[in-house]
Amino acid sequence: MSKPIQFKGASEMPEIPISLGFMDWNKTGAWRAQRPYYLDKTPPCNASCPVGNDIVSFIQKIVEEDLDGAWRVLREENPFPGVCGRVCFHPCESQCNRSFLDEPIAIHALERFVADFSEGQDQKVKREVEKGKERIAIIGSGPAGLSCAYHLARLHYPVTVFESFPLPGGMLRMGIPSYRLPREVLEREIALIESIGVDIRTGIALGQNLTWQDLKNYSAIFIATGAHLGRPLGIPGEKRRGVFQGLEFLKRVNSGKKIELGEKVGIIGGGNTAIDVARSVIRLGKKAILLYRRSKEEMPAFEEEVSEALEEGVKIRYLVNPIRIRSKDGLKRLECLRMKLGEKDETGRRKPIPIPNSNFFIEVDSLIIAAGEEIEFSYFPKGMERKGGILLTQRDGSTGVKGVFAGGDLTSTQRTVAHAIGSGKKAALAMDCYFKEKDSEEAFRRALIGEGPSISIFRYLHPDERRMDSHIVRFEELNLDYFERASRQKETKLPPKVRVKDFREVTSTLPSSLAIEEAGRCFSCGTCNGCETCYVFCPDASILKREEVFLREIDYDFCKGCGICFAECPRGAITLKEEAR
Amino acid sequence: MKKVITGNQAVAYGVILSRVEVVSAYPITPQTTIVEELSELIANGRLQTRFLKVESEHSAMAALIGASTGGVRCFTATSSHGLAYMHEMLHWASGARLPIVMVNVNRAIGPPWNIWSDQSDSLSQRDTGWIQLYCENNQEVLDTILQAYRIAETVRLPVMVVLDAFVLSHTSEPVEIPSMEEAEAFLPPYCSPYPLDPQEPKSFSVITTPEYFFEFRYKIQKAMEEVPEVCQQVEEEFYSRFKRRYGAVEKYGDEQAEVLLLTSGTVTSTSRIVVKKWREEGVNIAGLKIKRFRPFPAKEIGEAIKGAKKLAVIDRNLSAGVGGIFAQELRAALYSQEERPAIFGFVSGLGGRDITPELLEEAIQYTLVHSQPKEEILWLGLKR
Repeated sequence: MSKPIQFKGASEMPEIPISLGFMDWNKTGAWRAQRPYYLDKTPPCNASCPVGNDIVSFIQKIVEEDLDGAWRVLREENPFPGVCGRVCFHPCESQCNRSFLDEPIAIHALERFVADFSEGQDQKVKREVEKGKERIAIIGSGPAGLSCAYHLARLHYPVTVFESFPLPGGMLRMGIPSYRLPREVLEREIALIESIGVDIRTGIALGQNLTWQDLKNYSAIFIATGAHLGRPLGIPGEKRRGVFQGLEFLKRVNSGKKIELGEKVGIIGGGNTAIDVARSVIRLGKKAILLYRRSKEEMPAFEEEVSEALEEGVKIRYLVNPIRIRSKDGLKRLECLRMKLGEKDETGRRKPIPIPNSNFFIEVDSLIIAAGEEIEFSYFPKGMERKGGILLTQRDGSTGVKGVFAGGDLTSTQRTVAHAIGSGKKAALAMDCYFKEKDSEEAFRRALIGEGPSISIFRYLHPDERRMDSHIVRFEELNLDYFERASRQKETKLPPKVRVKDFREVTSTLPSSLAIEEAGRCFSCGTCNGCETCYVFCPDASILKREEVFLREIDYDFCKGCGICFAECPRGAITLKEEAR
Repeated sequence: MKKVITGNQAVAYGVILSRVEVVSAYPITPQTTIVEELSELIANGRLQTRFLKVESEHSAMAALIGASTGGVRCFTATSSHGLAYMHEMLHWASGARLPIVMVNVNRAIGPPWNIWSDQSDSLSQRDTGWIQLYCENNQEVLDTILQAYRIAETVRLPVMVVLDAFVLSHTSEPVEIPSMEEAEAFLPPYCSPYPLDPQEPKSFSVITTPEYFFEFRYKIQKAMEEVPEVCQQVEEEFYSRFKRRYGAVEKYGDEQAEVLLLTSGTVTSTSRIVVKKWREEGVNIAGLKIKRFRPFPAKEIGEAIKGAKKLAVIDRNLSAGVGGIFAQELRAALYSQEERPAIFGFVSGLGGRDITPELLEEAIQYTLVHSQPKEEILWLGLKR
């Protein structure tokens, strides 16, 4: 620490106004009226991810070309990055702030890239399960069940998963065709779950060769049996031979069983199952015609799936509602009514209204009904409540029965893979609290991403690492001077003519160079990525570095609180607050 | 080597021979061809100089302030409104004691809009702490740039070399161009006594409280007071190498003349002819060229005018409310002298109007017949 230098007069002073010593005796920080500080905030992608992925962190790892690190970040929250990178409806992308500048980051493609990259690596996964801890039974090996099992195993609980089918995976295996999710990707990720110590027993069905009595030995149970029952249309003739349920059909196709199909196959429904069915039908060499009672706008199926189906030759007829099925010599004669759209219903979609006397006939050789799925409720014990077609649970997945938790499609109307994985994770966290007699509400509150409803188990386990304020960063909070327009990378797809020949995967993984380029487009909203813009701009040299390492620290002895770091930060990772007086 | 070149080309040669490392400039008529010449040489790789493109003259000078603080020899050129735009940075350059050399091509300041020569642009900057040297011909322009770097780097004050728009800037004359070896021998490479060193960081020109600011200004005045002697030494050395000298002032004509015609810039060339003519007609007269305006050569003028009774000053400028600026400076400089000749303050040639031999003769005639000027400002060539 130097001292102020005193001069008697001009004769002692330097010729030019230059410093002769150091000014560190002058603690200019005392002048500060406002204090800048680093505070990571929640990026909108993270906040909208039903799984609770730390999206910005894994993308920034790609930017650093630390793909192993990216894989680890993803696996903190989700054992299924390879699955989600392919089949998730990526709400993160529709919330991406980049879309206000040009196009959102291709987050799903990056997640898939990281997952597939890891395949080539020798991933050392250590067994996490410990003996002596409470044993947990999980019913159902779909994304909810396996997510719950994975997170419980990482919390060192011994877990047994019971699966009624001969192979694990639930809807991921039975419901999603392999042209969207190749079996080896699913198997790779299930194998990793098993390798940390999760015990999966297949061919065991609750209510058949597994009873509630058998489960008494377990300290807690997580039920994730999904929604498997085809919803009937309630029209005459639907029980006839040759009329299939959509999910049944997919299960048969996806498990390699033979199906007798006619040349022209009618499919009733407008959801993702209907589209999966139609595209599978095309791949079996038949014609597919989809009948939907509303218009394209109201279709619940994901837009990209619909357009891929159309490319492959699926025909869609909108505003058509079958009212009777007749058959003759294997030929199905569908009596239909034309529909028109009325007012919006409770789902926000316009309601279909039949046009009187508009009856007409459509002839098909086979018919598949994919009008939605319902849950199987018959084998649940007393104390569990059903309402609105789902099993009622608390936010933490607990049911009316002590120690019994539930999740996935069984407990939600938002039946996506991502929601299922998220619900499994929430239940795992809740069960940990249950065993440790902690307040799960409080634990959830701390683990919430943004305003929720997703949670981060990483934050639950490491409350002091990668801390993030719940404020969700808006586009207006970014400093656009630092970002140039750049177009989004697109994954390549097989041409439709090639696709329809078999069940090969349609979309391919981004090559490494393009993935890194795409990751570079990420604003890293609210999340300091060490760009050092603040360091460059600070007029008081008060942004600290030690041996060239950026510390993300401010020297408050000298920071005058000018706010330039706050204004220049490209991503809103610095906050400015008034100094307490 | 002798070449027929314009004043602006002479500037460029001066810059090349001075091995300037950074040039930053913004084009303005009539300076533009200086920048064009230099930027082309740099773009063609014939000059190892960094050319900084900037969006204004203010930035041009700001960039040089950075470059000069960094310890390199640097240059810019401007004119008129461009110089006015630099005003703040001119103070900065002198206050920071940076040896920057700049050429200003004298051009009137609008409105009304005008691109022709007068001295109102450079004289508006007389209090910015810059040394100002006014040139009479293209040879002097080239020579003065070489000398300017020597002066600036010795006293650590910036130098403005001034030449008239078009009359010099765009007019070709034969100019003797020194070889690079000769130039290097006269002007060694610049070595800043205050180099920037990342290992030993320094603050420059930071806030200085009333406790010490005053003393820095005092030091600038002291440096200005050294300039006459430094100029003389530099010119002696220049003369020994190149056999050309100019002086802070130059007297020509009768040594004992009672009437003197004081001029600056290209008007001096006209004056030389007129003075010669009148002497041949038997009039006891001499001319006095004033080259250095800042610091004002009071002592040199005092010696040159010994015995003179009347001084006719030709000002190609106007400080509205007072009159010609050279005359004003001269009055102030001579006030302390015992013998004070009568000062006839002629204002002429504003906005590029030619100051013809006839006008100078009119001024001489007036001075000869009047014992004292009848008006504070004598308007020469004004259409009333």
